[in-house]
Amino acid sequence: MSAFLVRRLVRLAVVITGVSLVTFAILQASGDPVSLIMPEAPEADRAVLRRTLGLHDPLPVQFARFVGNAVTGNFGKSFFHHGQSASALVLERMPTTLMLTVFSMGVALAIALPVGIYSAVRRGRAVDQLATGTVFLGQSMPVFWTGIMLILLFSVQWRLLPVSGWESWAAVILPTATLSTFTAPLLLRIVRSSMLDVIGLDYVRTARAKGLSEWLVIGRHALKNAALPLVTVTGLQFGLLLGGAVITETVFAVPGVGRLIVGAIRQLDFPVVQAGVFMLAMIVVSVNFLVDVLYLYLNPQIRVR
Amino acid sequence: MRHWSPPLLALALLLAIAPGADAQPKDTLTVALISHAPTLDPHMHFERVGILVNINMFDSLLHKNARLEYEPSLATSWKALNDTTWEFKLRKGVKFHNGDTMTTEDVKFSFERVVEPGKEKKKSPQYGNVRAIKEVRIVDPETIHILTDKPFPLLLERLVFFPIVPKKHIEKVGDDAFGTTAAVGTGPWKFVEWKRDQYIRLEAFDGHWRGKPAFKHLVIRAIPEVATQIAEIKTGGVDLIRNVSADIVPELKTHAQTYVSSAPILRVHYVELDMRSAPFDKKLVRQAANYAIDKQSIIQKLMGGLGTQVATVVQPPAFGFEPEVKPFPYDPKKARELLAQAGYANGVDITLHSAFVEFRPVFEALSQMLTEVGIRVNARMWDPGPAWNKFLQAEGKATHGAYGSWGNYSVFDADAVLHPLFHTEPGGWIGKHYTRVEGLDKLIDEGRSTLNQAARKRTYSQIQKLIREEAPAIYLFTQYDTLAISKRVEYAARGDEWLWLFDAKPKR
Repeated sequence: MSAFLVRRLVRLAVVITGVSLVTFAILQASGDPVSLIMPEAPEADRAVLRRTLGLHDPLPVQFARFVGNAVTGNFGKSFFHHGQSASALVLERMPTTLMLTVFSMGVALAIALPVGIYSAVRRGRAVDQLATGTVFLGQSMPVFWTGIMLILLFSVQWRLLPVSGWESWAAVILPTATLSTFTAPLLLRIVRSSMLDVIGLDYVRTARAKGLSEWLVIGRHALKNAALPLVTVTGLQFGLLLGGAVITETVFAVPGVGRLIVGAIRQLDFPVVQAGVFMLAMIVVSVNFLVDVLYLYLNPQIRVR
Repeated sequence: MRHWSPPLLALALLLAIAPGADAQPKDTLTVALISHAPTLDPHMHFERVGILVNINMFDSLLHKNARLEYEPSLATSWKALNDTTWEFKLRKGVKFHNGDTMTTEDVKFSFERVVEPGKEKKKSPQYGNVRAIKEVRIVDPETIHILTDKPFPLLLERLVFFPIVPKKHIEKVGDDAFGTTAAVGTGPWKFVEWKRDQYIRLEAFDGHWRGKPAFKHLVIRAIPEVATQIAEIKTGGVDLIRNVSADIVPELKTHAQTYVSSAPILRVHYVELDMRSAPFDKKLVRQAANYAIDKQSIIQKLMGGLGTQVATVVQPPAFGFEPEVKPFPYDPKKARELLAQAGYANGVDITLHSAFVEFRPVFEALSQMLTEVGIRVNARMWDPGPAWNKFLQAEGKATHGAYGSWGNYSVFDADAVLHPLFHTEPGGWIGKHYTRVEGLDKLIDEGRSTLNQAARKRTYSQIQKLIREEAPAIYLFTQYDTLAISKRVEYAARGDEWLWLFDAKPKR
């Protein structure tokens, strides 16, 4: 069992290094931040700034320095936000993004679980058909479009909720709904299909034969086994949600990490992009690691192996 | 009804808890910008969104009124003593937001923190604007002299946005705190709170020398998405949005809550042509390209009528504009003739580039018009960002031209467009690679090296005649800036794109 966890931890380190390398490479390929910071300055002035920012060193040196610093949580200072450390800028906004992501996941699960189970149990009935239709719809709508449609309906048409911002609880509703709309259908589909797989199995029939109430059969016996794929997908979805948050934050003017990164990419603010991507990757990888641990608990077969 | 269906229940719940779209308190004015500058320190950034906030918190020596004429601000009078020395008399008894009185020391300090005499590496990105300033000398408690290293005709233009900051206060709290939590100026509103990426909250300053602004609270929200800004102004979440594009104007013009206000601005559209290689190394081809474009149609059909055709890149409101030089008329027949004379009777294939996404339809239209006369355009649209910057750094190689615009950084002077676009010295825009007009560099240098305005006017007249003839670019039109404003607020767009909100008044 510990071997399993160690393997996973090693994989985690590999993934993080890979993400850092890819981010670093893409940023290097994307242009010269100095000419963006001082568009009208003579080359001599630019050279001075390039030296100050450490951009004149050979790429391997820059990457080694980046990795060395990243390990200690130091990503350097933002090129754009004068004198502020990149990690501080990211950390300052991280709670907002996490809150948005966790809320959306919560809402998505709160919808997917009961509806998924119900439509599996009542397979082919009206609710099931409706749910399957909604899954198609939800999955085919891009996040930015859903966001703007929700604004049009709930804010402009019906005047129920604020359009954007993050100042009140009411402002949290639409971005959360946008992200849940994106995630819930996938979770729902997983719940439904894994539930269907399980319901037909012998042990469920046995449970029924024992005269247990339908509620107990589904809730206690069937769900426990049906939950395994759901746990995996929830972990994976977490990463997708963080990605979706990037767009959602821009549409709803939410002061989160995603919006910071989008701005930083536009400004070629290397340290901020690197810090942001690194920390988001850390979160995704950690969540998946937790999922693995949870698996051990849920599925004894892995423990034995 | 036996039971509520879940969606209905959710809706009812939502209705019960939702406070509804926020109606604004009467004495609050809320403005949306696409982002905030990284700092509130007016000297430590160079961004339009930052300047728009700063001008409402800080005063400069000079101000421009809505007709864009100079007005006294912290300086009550000014004059040039000789070619390199200017004298300014300061307004008496001006208070900073913290109660301190503004003095000549503050003025000297403000310039020196940007110019940083004797330092190799300058920390202010605005340094380039005032690099000509050699020294600021205190003559007496009400008089300062600004000395420049050579004649600097743009000085007054640069001083319209050069905020005066409190020396003692900054030395006490430090640059970082000044830019984030402790911004203090002499302007109409004082700093209250800044929630990053959310809002900046300002409050009317009782001791402001002009008197109190009409709105007690000024809130500047950062909303990156244009569609979201539009939804906000329709629902009263904000009172003013900028850069409303032509396709949205009709909708916001007729909306029950909003009106639009437009003003012609300095921003001029053009296609810079690569004179280093064929076919634009030939003057006749460059002229043909100018004749090929139906500017009026583009203005009417694609810009909602909001544009003014120009003869060169010098904008009519800028100092040095020569009205005698007339725009190229639309004459596709003449364009074809010139092209044939230049040896391209069968036409020629070129590639044009642009990252000017908002004006993609204009780029497509002008590419089509060029193609119709035989200059067959492969139009390449770029995402403005890293790749485009890379392209610019490659000196625009393997290209024939680039469609873009220039806004002079709101400096109303011919130099502010001619130098960056056509001067070949390093530091300019793509023009430094493209432009090869004999004698143009020298004329541009001449225009910026004297304070004699009559002589400068003559030089710029000469330049405009020269570049009209040589046509290093396809000249198009100047643009308008359009604001959408809530009907409860009275305000008008300005030609310098400033949001000078002291002029904003509640309606009725």
